[in-house]
Amino acid sequence: MVVPAEVGAIANLLANPWIRGAAGAVGFASVISGSLLILIWLERKFIARLQHRYGPNRVGKYGILQLVVDGIKLFTKEDIVPRDADKLIFTLAPIVGFAVALLPFLVIPIGENLIVSDLNIGILYLLAVSSLAVVPTLMAGWSPNNKYNLLGGMRAAAMMISYEVPMGLAIIGVVMLTGSLSMVDIVRAQEGMWFIIPQFIGFVVFVVAAFVEAARLPFDLPEAESELVQGWTTEYSGMKFAMLLFAEYIHSILASLLIAILFLGGWYGPVLPGPVWLLLKTFLVLLVLMWMRATVPRVRIDQLLNIGWKILIPLALLNIAITGIYKLV
Amino acid sequence: MEIIAFVAVSALILLSSLSMVLAKDMVRAALSLALAFIGVAALFILLEAEFLAAIQVLIYAGAVVVLMLFAVMLTKRRRVRQ
Repeated sequence: MVVPAEVGAIANLLANPWIRGAAGAVGFASVISGSLLILIWLERKFIARLQHRYGPNRVGKYGILQLVVDGIKLFTKEDIVPRDADKLIFTLAPIVGFAVALLPFLVIPIGENLIVSDLNIGILYLLAVSSLAVVPTLMAGWSPNNKYNLLGGMRAAAMMISYEVPMGLAIIGVVMLTGSLSMVDIVRAQEGMWFIIPQFIGFVVFVVAAFVEAARLPFDLPEAESELVQGWTTEYSGMKFAMLLFAEYIHSILASLLIAILFLGGWYGPVLPGPVWLLLKTFLVLLVLMWMRATVPRVRIDQLLNIGWKILIPLALLNIAITGIYKLV
Repeated sequence: MEIIAFVAVSALILLSSLSMVLAKDMVRAALSLALAFIGVAALFILLEAEFLAAIQVLIYAGAVVVLMLFAVMLTKRRRVRQ
């Protein structure tokens, strides 16, 4: 048990932005890496059940240590750099990718006061930082001088550029209702009613766009195994591949967190404390993401871009118009 | 404190701009340009113009991605040793 005086001292310490930032970085990095290991195991088990298999069941009880074994394998593998690769960019891509994937968590509010920095341009910062996520993908796609990497990277760039637009437009509806760009204000505005009800069209658009940005199975064109070997990560192995894989998973977690924060009421919910509610909602969205992976076949790249430009963007604009009229009346 | 940050950020901008101009490879040049733009965003943050900084990253990073696409598509590929 911590006595109240110590709680006060810790709160004082956390008021210092440097200490707050460092604590947030360490906290988020460790919680995310820890939960990644569990999530990957869970996803393999869950999808195995959906496909009438057992999934990992050899190492440890219910195969829960499978990821540790895989991790050791990836850590100890030889680090191969292709001969004709641009070595600097090839090495930098996983590092930049991992760093950029962690940046958005600066403005993610886990609970009432559990946020590293409540920027008053929060959601804009988030959009800006997540638009950077394409750069390491293109770096990894271009640098190894391999056609499959390049094709995957180009597809990823095409996808992210087209789906940033409906994502931003869907967020505008939420911002219009809130009247603020701060993430904390956006959650507070949902105390009475979650934004999924007044912003249902925006919710649908945002979910599709966020799932595309996460590049998971119905939309995993950048690494489509059956067409492009392993897509933009083909030439990567060992630790570098592990970092790219982790960055991808962090994108999925971030997409689910954002859906929970922007449309499903963030930390609001009865009985249980706020952070538990947020994590519960995030987990449910992640589960839907995994479920989709086991259910839906992959779309083609032209279909994907058609959905983005011809359906989602008009829908998002319609949503903005409806929200504007609602605000005026 | 502010002086140190300013000097560091300016050095980053100057070095990355220089490496952009001198780069032999178009994709490397585009990446250096992205770094320079991020440095400019950091300068805006030092001037307490956070909104401008976010817009700088949002718009110019997007532009750099398109630039990289064009660099990949329209310039000659590096020679592959046989």
